Amino acid sequence: MAVDLNTLDFDEIARKEAARHRGRRWKVAVALLFSLVWVVPFYFLAISIFKSSTEYASNPPLSLPAGLSPIAENAQRAWELGNMGQSMLNSGFYGTLGAALAVFFAAMAAFAITRIDLPWKNGWFMLIFAGTVFPFQMYLIPLFFGYQKLGLLNSHLGMLLFYTAICVPFPTLVLRNFMSGLSREMDEAARMDGAGEFTVFFRVVLPNTVGPMIAVFLLQFTWIWNDMLFSTVLGNRLETRSIMNALLIFQGSYSSIGPNIVLTAALIASVPSLILFFLLRRHFMQGLQVQQA
Amino acid sequence: MDRAAQDTELLNRIGLDQTLRRERVRRRGQLGLGLLFMAPALVLVTSLLLVPVGYNIWLSFTKWKKFKGFGEYAGWANYEKMASNPFFTDALINTAIWVVASIVFPIALGLIMALFLRNMRGAEAFKNVVFIPRILAPTAVGVLWFYVYAPDGLLNRGLSLFTTGDVEIGWLYQDNTVTPAIIATFVWQTAGLVMVLLLLGLAAIPRDPVEAAHIDGANKWQIFRFITLPLLMPTLLMVTILSVLAGFTVFDLLWVMGANYPGQRSLALAVFMYFEAFQKGSWAFGSAVAVVIGLVVLGVTWIQTLLQSRVDRMVR
Repeated sequence: MAVDLNTLDFDEIARKEAARHRGRRWKVAVALLFSLVWVVPFYFLAISIFKSSTEYASNPPLSLPAGLSPIAENAQRAWELGNMGQSMLNSGFYGTLGAALAVFFAAMAAFAITRIDLPWKNGWFMLIFAGTVFPFQMYLIPLFFGYQKLGLLNSHLGMLLFYTAICVPFPTLVLRNFMSGLSREMDEAARMDGAGEFTVFFRVVLPNTVGPMIAVFLLQFTWIWNDMLFSTVLGNRLETRSIMNALLIFQGSYSSIGPNIVLTAALIASVPSLILFFLLRRHFMQGLQVQQA
Repeated sequence: MDRAAQDTELLNRIGLDQTLRRERVRRRGQLGLGLLFMAPALVLVTSLLLVPVGYNIWLSFTKWKKFKGFGEYAGWANYEKMASNPFFTDALINTAIWVVASIVFPIALGLIMALFLRNMRGAEAFKNVVFIPRILAPTAVGVLWFYVYAPDGLLNRGLSLFTTGDVEIGWLYQDNTVTPAIIATFVWQTAGLVMVLLLLGLAAIPRDPVEAAHIDGANKWQIFRFITLPLLMPTLLMVTILSVLAGFTVFDLLWVMGANYPGQRSLALAVFMYFEAFQKGSWAFGSAVAVVIGLVVLGVTWIQTLLQSRVDRMVR
């Protein structure tokens, strides 16, 4: 079919194209303006840690610092006042070991539920998953008294046990869903060749579940690292408290300690989870997709 | 020989009995093996999560005495005490405000941002900026915003630019500003996650119905209202539930940011419970408040399952 060029209005097409481009630029401008709501507080944080206490008090909050040197003193004071070294070690210990144990135990339970021919499969799963139903406030008082009686209050072991327990149910859900989608042919083949259930678990199923296991490990690690409530209730001692609990020390006496130092402490406490996020963004996003399923 | 005896003899020869017995042994073996694999998870969850919940419910019906501990059964006394406690009613109202606010604001903001960024070039950078607060601990975010809201802090200095004279609002010290201010921080922290989840949901919507509607002459609003929105419903519902539960059980932000607010315990039920139990030592009363919190969570979960089944039917 011949196209009648006279009916095509090229001016009109060009105008529409230009409008679309303008629309796109307008959109970017709006997005930039809107993201200021997020950028400005971060900028405020970023410059405040470079200010000395007198500088913070006398200059406008968004003014650039006079020099970069005060950060050394801010960090040192924050580190010493909050005993942050000890609490960072504690949180690192609870986070890595607690989340790793929880994910491993969850994988074992998910294996039993999806791969072993046992009665009341759903019942067992619901029993474990019930651990996510209740609000944290219902655990606090009984655990406090129970731990006191058992001598677990303010001990590393007690904290680790609790963090492991609370991180078990959610990974069990995720790994159960994942494992029930894994092909059964491979483990049947392994069983035919005389492999026991332990071999099937360690050699066949686990190696295929590494991806989701890393994803849930990261989610649970950040949860433990960011927890403040259970550390204040179950381990509120210098030797056992977590890093977020250590931040509260500054909050109580904020008037005597300058905001520049408290903000530095808050940033130091957040550095590990930020680094983890940027290094392992892909796994975090996978975790989000997992969370959605 | 009669018929029945013949049958038994035949069965014995086949060995059905033995097969059944062997099957039963195998099943018992499987149960044992399964329990072995589930043991660590089961033991940890029951002993550290489920048993404490049961114990908490029991405690809420007892009386706490100094030096004697939990003792006699007290019936509904702890629950009756709540009604006459002014801080409790305030906390309840504030919690209701939190429930509504954590549905409306993060979802509305997240949805607008997701739709806006959907087909934009360079959206990655914006996504990251908005998402980062979610990585940070609520405690750290609370500390940051505590200084943003301070009387001589960032927000007041910023507002001073637009008015004559200095603005000196104590955002976190006044009854009528403290809850909205902390809710704003909550939205600031969580809208990014909502947005990312909604973007994932939007990406999963098939192109065909959208294009078909476009060809049929539907405008942008109609496409959104009659195609995108219904298909996004399951994601929206899931995100809403996540957001409500997060907003309803918020504690860290209130604890850090409300530290200087005189009526801190009335900021939410979670804070009220912590205050009564761990600062005042009214342990039995505190556990009753915890049960109330549990009931509200149960109610929200129940509504969720109702809506879930409706949405499932709608999509199918």
